[in-house]
Amino acid sequence: MHISEGILTWPVLASGAAFAAAGTAVGLKKLKTEDIPKTAILSAAFFVASLIHVPIGPASAHLILNGIVGLLLGWAAFPAILVALFLQALFFQYGGITTLGVNTLLMALPAVLCYLVFHPLIIKKDGYTASAAGFAGGFLSVLFSGIILAAFLIFAHRAFTEVAYFIVSIHLPIMIIEGIITMFCIGFLKKVQPSLLGSVYGFDGSNPAITK
Amino acid sequence: MDNTTPPDPVIELDHIRYAYPGEDPVLRDLSFTLNRGERTGLLAPNGSGKTTLFHVIVGLLPISGGTIRILGRNMESEKDFVWARKKAGLLFQDADDQLFSPTVIDDVAFGPLNMGKTREEALSVSRRVLSFLGLSEFENRITFKLSGGEKKLVSLATILSMEPEVLLLDEPLNGLDQATRTRLTGVLESIDASYIIISHDIDFLLDCTDTIYCLRDGKTEKDTTVHVHSHDHAHMMGHIPHQHK
Amino acid sequence: MLSEPFSIGNSVIHRIDPRHRILAAFLYSVVVAVLYQLQALALATAFSGLLVKTAGLDGKAVFRRLALVNGFVALFWLILPFTAKGDILFEAGPLTVYEAGVLMALQITLKSNAIIMAFISLVSTMSFSTLGYALRSLKLPHKLVFLFILTYRYIFVIEQEYRKIWRSVKVRGFSPATSIHCYKTYAYMIGMIFVRAAARADRVYRAMLCRGFNGRFHSLSDFPASGKNGLFLFIAIVCTVLLVSTEWYFHG
Repeated sequence: MHISEGILTWPVLASGAAFAAAGTAVGLKKLKTEDIPKTAILSAAFFVASLIHVPIGPASAHLILNGIVGLLLGWAAFPAILVALFLQALFFQYGGITTLGVNTLLMALPAVLCYLVFHPLIIKKDGYTASAAGFAGGFLSVLFSGIILAAFLIFAHRAFTEVAYFIVSIHLPIMIIEGIITMFCIGFLKKVQPSLLGSVYGFDGSNPAITK
Repeated sequence: MDNTTPPDPVIELDHIRYAYPGEDPVLRDLSFTLNRGERTGLLAPNGSGKTTLFHVIVGLLPISGGTIRILGRNMESEKDFVWARKKAGLLFQDADDQLFSPTVIDDVAFGPLNMGKTREEALSVSRRVLSFLGLSEFENRITFKLSGGEKKLVSLATILSMEPEVLLLDEPLNGLDQATRTRLTGVLESIDASYIIISHDIDFLLDCTDTIYCLRDGKTEKDTTVHVHSHDHAHMMGHIPHQHK
Repeated sequence: MLSEPFSIGNSVIHRIDPRHRILAAFLYSVVVAVLYQLQALALATAFSGLLVKTAGLDGKAVFRRLALVNGFVALFWLILPFTAKGDILFEAGPLTVYEAGVLMALQITLKSNAIIMAFISLVSTMSFSTLGYALRSLKLPHKLVFLFILTYRYIFVIEQEYRKIWRSVKVRGFSPATSIHCYKTYAYMIGMIFVRAAARADRVYRAMLCRGFNGRFHSLSDFPASGKNGLFLFIAIVCTVLLVSTEWYFHG
């Protein structure tokens, strides 16, 4: 989900860039040097995941996964998503320079909110509560991204209202799929490697040389 | 072996212990010494703690008992290990873990630059190492586009450019074809450094090392030490397919 | 998967200092993004086309890229002409096409393509390592550049790991469908990618520690100063000034 070049007006682009820059600054400040390889690799995984197409009825859609990225990285989702989007702009010309800020904001802000709200539930609770939190994280982060995208379009021009509604509505099935995938993925990680869900900051007790 | 020069220990491990959190110890009461000029092989089954041993030597994993001395210096804090890592070059099993820079020269120069060398010094030592390995034309190649064998040789270059006094090579043959194996064997024979090689390829160890230890039950077993030139001992390994040179 | 088809070349543009190219691309894109007059936008599209030509890029390859990324823009063509009410351009059966909507869709198309073409000619024409250095010397935060370089490197590794997992799933008879089983399989594959990726991240960091990494990054390259760089920046500024004046002139 992204907004192409040439659509938004400068006040929207500028405020998007300013908020994205602020979020990235917070993310970088919280990100320790030793956690950069981990963040980079998750950012790369986020990039690759966006190339994975899953079937929805007769059509298919690519995954967004900003919910999972948020749950795994916390605030570091901002720089991670910024970097992944810049690479997409570089290689596929998806998005671009002037829209980098708004696109980062619309993907990363829901990711961070999803982390703040659902992360505690996911680590502290088990069973249905944790699953529900996983589903909600995946579902709501895409929904929220859609809403921000729609808001940007409508702020830019009232005439874009219908386009905005259309975009949000075609994302509805994707939200459900993202919810399901996030739920199972979180369940998988809880079982296989719960330390990954400890957020990037106190990551993995297994490497004292790094955590020291 | 030449018995006239007094032994000059490069790595001394004295009764070290290591256990991953919440698990049984992988290394228990392990003692081992590598002297200058020695080329040692470490033969052991999967999961016996070989890689752990290397990571312990350079302080990536903290030991729970015993002492480690590198070039006579006691390893007590992270600061000691930071120093030791420049003296002991560790070649990782998977070259994709070692190479991260966009181009080969960036990666080879990474270590020297970290050691405080100027750009010119770092470039010159990197180029020297690349040419020693026959990789001069690889300088501006993109690391991820190299073949498995090329990646392994470039990884070795990234270690050699730090001019270490001892090399720790973790399964250097993993996934290499015959041509690259031969090339690597040739390189190791002509290198002027002490080294320890972990491998489960006994032919390779016989070619490239003077002494072979076994790691069993978290200890190196001195009684199974094999001197390559001693036929008795070599035959103890007779159940593993190998060749005598 | 990722190719850098535009980075190879020896045009005038390929030889300009990458930092100047990034700055020019940024300045130019921002200016084009705020233009509204069709005349100014047409001029911008012409400038961008000229850039593509100067960079000696394969016109077909650029066109294919543009066709791919115009999907989002196409959405506006589908909706805007019928919903942005105002003067009626023409009526075709039940559909009414409004002038304002068509105008807007046209603006968006020109803007979008002008910016993308400029980006391809100026930024996609540098190899990744050059870009990494350029960003570093443009004083971007250390950690961000480090993150950027590592992410790029590991995209390829992760993609390979994904392929391996995908193969193993396929040989066991999995075929994608709209079902919970399918989504669960995808979720587990993604989970596995994350687990393996995290383990690898750990090893990568250890390997870096072994090579004396202490959180600081040192750069090998240096960009030689050249009169051409100044000239290039001057031309870029003249072009943007021309665009802005055209906008003002027709704005009335």
